Amino acid sequence: MNIIEIKDVTKKFSNQLALDGLTLDIPEGRIFGLLGPNGAGKTTLIRILTHITMPDSGRVLFHGHPLEAADVENIGYLPEERGLYKKMKVSEQVVYLARLRGLSKQEATRRLKEWFQKFDIDSWWNRRVEELSKGMQQKIQFIATVVHQPDFLIFDEPFSGFDPVNAETLKQEILNLKAQGATVILSTHNMASVEEICDEIALVNHGRLVLNGEINEVRRRFKQSLFHISVANNIDTSNFPTDFQIVKKTSVGNETSLNIQILNNTPSNQLLQYLIEQQYTVTAFNEILPSMNEVFIKAVQS
Amino acid sequence: MSKIPIIIEREFFSRVKKKSFIVTTLLMPLMIIALIVIPVYVAQKTDKDCLVYVLDENDYFINKFADTEKVHFAYPSGELESMKQRCIDGECDAVLHILSGSQSNQANLYYHKDPPLSLKGRVTEQMDKILFDRTLMDTFHIDLQKYEIIKQTSQSSVAAVQIDADGQERASMMLLNRIVGLICGVLIYMFVFLYANQVMRSSIEEKANRIVEIIISSVKPFEFMMGKIIGVALVGILQFAMQIVLAVVLLFGVQFLLPTIFSETTVAGPDVASATAAAESMQIQNSSLFSDISAFYSFPFTTLIICFFIYFLFGYLIYASLFAGLGSATDNETDSNQFVLPVSLPLILTIMIISMEASAQSTLVKWLSIIPFTSPIAMLYRIPSGVPLWELILSIALLIGTFVLCVWLSAKIYRTGLLMYGKKVTWKEIWRWVRM
Repeated sequence: MNIIEIKDVTKKFSNQLALDGLTLDIPEGRIFGLLGPNGAGKTTLIRILTHITMPDSGRVLFHGHPLEAADVENIGYLPEERGLYKKMKVSEQVVYLARLRGLSKQEATRRLKEWFQKFDIDSWWNRRVEELSKGMQQKIQFIATVVHQPDFLIFDEPFSGFDPVNAETLKQEILNLKAQGATVILSTHNMASVEEICDEIALVNHGRLVLNGEINEVRRRFKQSLFHISVANNIDTSNFPTDFQIVKKTSVGNETSLNIQILNNTPSNQLLQYLIEQQYTVTAFNEILPSMNEVFIKAVQS
Repeated sequence: MSKIPIIIEREFFSRVKKKSFIVTTLLMPLMIIALIVIPVYVAQKTDKDCLVYVLDENDYFINKFADTEKVHFAYPSGELESMKQRCIDGECDAVLHILSGSQSNQANLYYHKDPPLSLKGRVTEQMDKILFDRTLMDTFHIDLQKYEIIKQTSQSSVAAVQIDADGQERASMMLLNRIVGLICGVLIYMFVFLYANQVMRSSIEEKANRIVEIIISSVKPFEFMMGKIIGVALVGILQFAMQIVLAVVLLFGVQFLLPTIFSETTVAGPDVASATAAAESMQIQNSSLFSDISAFYSFPFTTLIICFFIYFLFGYLIYASLFAGLGSATDNETDSNQFVLPVSLPLILTIMIISMEASAQSTLVKWLSIIPFTSPIAMLYRIPSGVPLWELILSIALLIGTFVLCVWLSAKIYRTGLLMYGKKVTWKEIWRWVRM
C-alpha cells in the first residue's frame, strides 16, 4: 500500500522547470530517502507534498485520495530552513504549532509534557526560545514536527547542526516513528545516514526521477563485481589470473586482505576456486556493494 | 475548521503580554497629560509674590501701576544704580526703569535672581494699559468708562448657518467642524501607520526567523495573513481604548489632586509670557466655538462616530494587508523602505493637504474623500461640515471594494514572497507574482 502516489507532477517557476512530469510512489511504513543534487527539485516536491504549493499539472494522492488542505493535520514537516519565534516561550510555541495542526490546546499540552519528560527537558518549559542553544532549538523543532502524531513525516536535512550525540538520538527517534507505523521521507545529502536508516530511496535530478527502489537493490544495480577476500596466508599476487584485478592489498602478519575486481563477467566462484586450488586458507569472501555516495555521484553524472 | 482564531490569539497575546505594550500604553497618556499639566504647573510654582521698584524718568507712571495678587509695585526715590544695588541686596525682586522723553514707552526690567516667568508679561500688560488710557485721554479726550461703553455697544454677533440641498438650515461651527475633522483624520493616520507597520515588521521577522515555512505548511497563507492583520487590529483597538480611558482618568485625577492648576489656569494663562498669544486666541475661539448651543447639538455626532469606525477599520485593513504583502516580499526592514513610501504617500499627502487649512468643501478634498486610499482621512475631515449621502455611500463602497482587492493582491504576494529568500525584490517582480 502506498501512502503517497505522485503522478506526472510538473511545476514551473517563471523560466525554470522545477519538476518535470515526476511520477513516484512512497510505500507506507518505510523510511524513504529523497536524494538529489542541489536545485534538483526536492524542495519543490516537498512543498507540494506539504500542500504549500500546488503542482501546475499532475496529481498527488494521499492514502489513495487527492491530497487536500485537511491532510496537513496528518503530516509532520521539518523544513531545512527552520526557525522558531525567538521571544515566545518554548511550550507556548509548540502548543501553538500543534494547534495549527489540529490538536486541541489541552491535548497539545498533554503530549508536549510527555515529550519533555522523554527528552528530560522539563526545565525548558517556560524558557524563551532565544535562551536555548541551536541544538536545543533543533530538539524543540523535532518535537513540534511529531507532537500531533502524524502518520506521514518529512524531514529535510534533519541532521544539519546536530552534534553526533544528538544526531544519534534523532536517528533513533526516526526509527521509533517507523516502528510505530509512520512513513518517513528523509531528504538529505548525508549518504551515510541514508545507508543507515533508509529502506528505499528515490533520486531526483533536473526535476525527473533518476533512480528509485529498495536501497540494497539500488546499490546492487551499481555494483562493479568488486569482492573483498581475506586469507590466512601471505599471497603472491604476481601471477594472479588477469580476470582478477587487484584493487587494494593489505597484509598484517600472516593475514592478507584483498579487494579484487572481476573482469569479463567471470563468475565470482572461479575466484574462490582459484584461491582454494592455490591452497590458501580463505577466512572471508564477500561482495563489496557501492556506497550510496558512489551511487549518488554515478547516477547524477550519468 | 478555520485556523484564523488560533492565529489571532497568538498575534494578540504575544503583543499584549510584551513589556513594551504595557509601557507604551501607560506612557502615551502620561506624556500627553504631562505636556498639558507641567508647563502650567511650573509657571504656577515659580509664580511667587514679587516686589517691583518703579523708577520713571518722567514721573508719569508713578502710582499708576495697580498692585495685583502676585505683583506689588513701589516707587522709592533714588538713582538707578542705587536701586540696582538694593535689588542685588534682595530688597526687591526687580527694578523697572522707564526711559525718559520720547522713549517713555520703553523700559528695562532689571533683576538679580530669576523672577517668575510671568513677571515681564504682567508688567508689560500694565504699562500697555496705562499708555492706552493716556492716548485715549490726551488724543481723543475719552475716559476709560466711555471707552467701555463704546466697546460694548459696538459688538456684533454673526452666526454661521449651513443650508443643505433640501434648503434645511443647520447652525454650523466652521472652526469646530474643522478641528474635529482634523483630529479624527490624524487619529486614523496614526492608527493606520502604527499598526499596519507592526503587521509588516512581523511578516519580515517571521521570514527572517524561518518559522514561516512550518506555519504555512499547516495553514493557508491567506488565513495566516488575515489572522495576523486581525490580531494586530485588536491589539491596536485595545491599546487605543486603554489610552483614552487612562488619559481621561489622569486628567480628572490631576484636576482632583491639584485643583488650583485648572482653576487658575484661565487667570494665569494669558500672563505666562510665552504662551500669552496662543492661550488668548484659544480662549477667544473657545468662547465663540460653543457660543451657540443649537449649533453644538446639530453637530452630526452619530454619523461621525459610525463613519469614524468604518474608515478607521477599513483604512487600517487596506494598509495592513498591503504592508503584509510587501513585508513578505523582503527579508529585512531596510529593503522594505522602498515599498513603504510609495504605498503610504496618499495618506501623507492627504494629511498635509487638510492640515494646510484646505476647505472641507473644496473640489480637491471632495475627490480625496472618494478615492479609497485617501478617503479614511479626507472623508472624516469633511463629515462635520456635511457630506451628501450618495458621496458617503460611494466612498464607503469603494473603500470596501478596495479592501477586498488589496487582500486578494496581498495574499498572492504573500504566498510567493514568504518563501523567497536572498533576492532583492523589485516592483516588477511583485507584479509577476500577482499575475501568477
